[in-house]
Amino acid sequence: MTEVLSEQMGSGSHSGALLEVDDLHVEFRTRAGVAKAVNGVTYSVDAGETLAVLGESGSGKSVTAQTIMGILDIPPGKVTGGEIRFRGVDLLKLPEDQRRRIRGEGISMVFQDALSSLNPVFPVGWQIAEMFRMHRGTSRADAKKKAVELMDRVRIPAAKERVNDFPHQFSGGMRQRIMIAMAIALDPEILIADEPTTALDVTVQAQIMGLLAELQRDSNMGLILITHDLGVVADVADKIAVMYGGRIVENAPVHELYKNPAHPYSKGLLESIPRVDHKGQELYAIKGLPPNLLEMPTGCAFHPRCPYRRDNCVTDVPPLYTISGTRGSACHYWREVIDEGER
Amino acid sequence: MGRYAIRRLLQLVPVVLGTTFIINYMVWQLPGDPFAGRCGQRPCPDSYVTAMREQFGLDQPLLVQYWNFLKNLLTGNLGTDFNGVSVASQLGDAWPITIRLALMAVAFEAIIGIGAGVLSGLKRGGFIDNVVTLSTLFLLSLPIFVTAYLLQWVLGVQLHVIEPTVTDAATVPELIVPALVLASLNMAFTARLTRTSIVENLRSDYVRTAVAKGLSNRRVVGIHLLRNSLIPVLTFLGTEVGSLMSGAIITEGIFNIHGIGGLLWRAINGQDYTIVVPVATLLVLVYLISNLLVDLLYGVLDPRIRYE
Repeated sequence: MTEVLSEQMGSGSHSGALLEVDDLHVEFRTRAGVAKAVNGVTYSVDAGETLAVLGESGSGKSVTAQTIMGILDIPPGKVTGGEIRFRGVDLLKLPEDQRRRIRGEGISMVFQDALSSLNPVFPVGWQIAEMFRMHRGTSRADAKKKAVELMDRVRIPAAKERVNDFPHQFSGGMRQRIMIAMAIALDPEILIADEPTTALDVTVQAQIMGLLAELQRDSNMGLILITHDLGVVADVADKIAVMYGGRIVENAPVHELYKNPAHPYSKGLLESIPRVDHKGQELYAIKGLPPNLLEMPTGCAFHPRCPYRRDNCVTDVPPLYTISGTRGSACHYWREVIDEGER
Repeated sequence: MGRYAIRRLLQLVPVVLGTTFIINYMVWQLPGDPFAGRCGQRPCPDSYVTAMREQFGLDQPLLVQYWNFLKNLLTGNLGTDFNGVSVASQLGDAWPITIRLALMAVAFEAIIGIGAGVLSGLKRGGFIDNVVTLSTLFLLSLPIFVTAYLLQWVLGVQLHVIEPTVTDAATVPELIVPALVLASLNMAFTARLTRTSIVENLRSDYVRTAVAKGLSNRRVVGIHLLRNSLIPVLTFLGTEVGSLMSGAIITEGIFNIHGIGGLLWRAINGQDYTIVVPVATLLVLVYLISNLLVDLLYGVLDPRIRYE
């Protein structure tokens, strides 16, 4: 099917990354007004690469992912601009029928709450097998065999005995493994994990992150890891895109950002992680509240909360300044932020 | 599940005893003597009344009467009515007709009610949704006898599409309109329940997952959405089978259908309690058994509910 898809989409000739989000704009029309959830987001992921998209609730990180998947609720949601190129082809221009075939085959997604995201009335094995049956026309028996193999692969103990169990009979971590098994069933090229560990215990979080990283290595997928938790991404991500108010405020290779952030918001996020060497000190918190999407602040969306604020921050929207080939910061005073030194 | 079913069946025993005792007790509390008025214009002679009382065991204490009733019920010997006609044969004639009517009504409720509910729930605020909301409100606000007379008059008397009354055979085509009438209230309610359930589940995470799996729209709706949305609807339809049977009294009366409802109606008017008691008991049993089946079905439909 990968070959079929490639033929259909004339793959191989394009020059960009495997998946490119280019200046994406998404709005929600609500009774209270137009909420601008995504305002010109640009990022890309290549095969074998892990991009962590970081931001607090309402920053637009999940909406961007849902737009990539094509599972945004329209209405009230509406894509008002930009492109999403998968192997060079703009997904937003594809007819629904072709787009549907990319879901699961080309791009797959793991959701936050595995209990509500799995269908409560069907056995887990059936739900995994459905991928093979519907996309590949595999027979029931063969699909079930493959489901067991996948459950083994995501390390669910006694997969063969548990294949007919229902989602509510599994623990939270096991359910998320089932979600992952379902998402990787057809060897997608891109896997989007939307807060995959948020609902889990800390120890289980580490296991799930480890599993995702391992699966990605084995199959050379591109992985988009959406999270609000900086601690989760450090070990697995290659690069980070920090989102605020529906825009990317900083992107950087993961170690550079950790070492020396170039945007006041990223810096604030890093400083609010508890640290062993700061034991006993008060934990830092970014003051103020996330922006109201219905009434975005003028100029830089972060200015009401920013310790580096000057007058022009209130009036001028900062572009994404290029710091180096792989780094950018949407702050007028990024030099000042970065010069303040390494942590 | 097996143990649960047995426990539930055992629970039925006291309920059946209690309800049938109340039925047996109450029929004799109604004013009037069933035998006193059976001799035309003049009062019946005391000897006749005494003889009849003796024949039907009414001279004995209530508890003894009740004991005899239970014995007869269990042995299947329902005796004769006050006219000497076998009660069992009357029930045997009427019962299949009411069952046919009720099954047709349930089919209409399920097919039309669920169909309309799904269509309106999927396109909330659309044309179909408005039509369904309006027409269900219309049906829900009309008492069932008004709907019955209305259809009988329009279709039977004015347009001659149907015969206004049903023949003794009560064939399936004849019963279509009466079944629609009988179903109307539950049908409207089923449509609304289905619509609410669809709207609610349409927003659920697992439907979003089904879309993200790259399934066709038909499969997302027809398998993932519908399977979940129909759980409360099927439960409702099941529990209402019992009340449908008793609701048949009005419909059967208006369309002159010789089913259980008509039999019961005539027996109450004639104060023939040899008919009233078995029919009422039968309705109680149907209600209890359909409720039990629904509870068991619920466990099958929703795997999250498992009976220990």
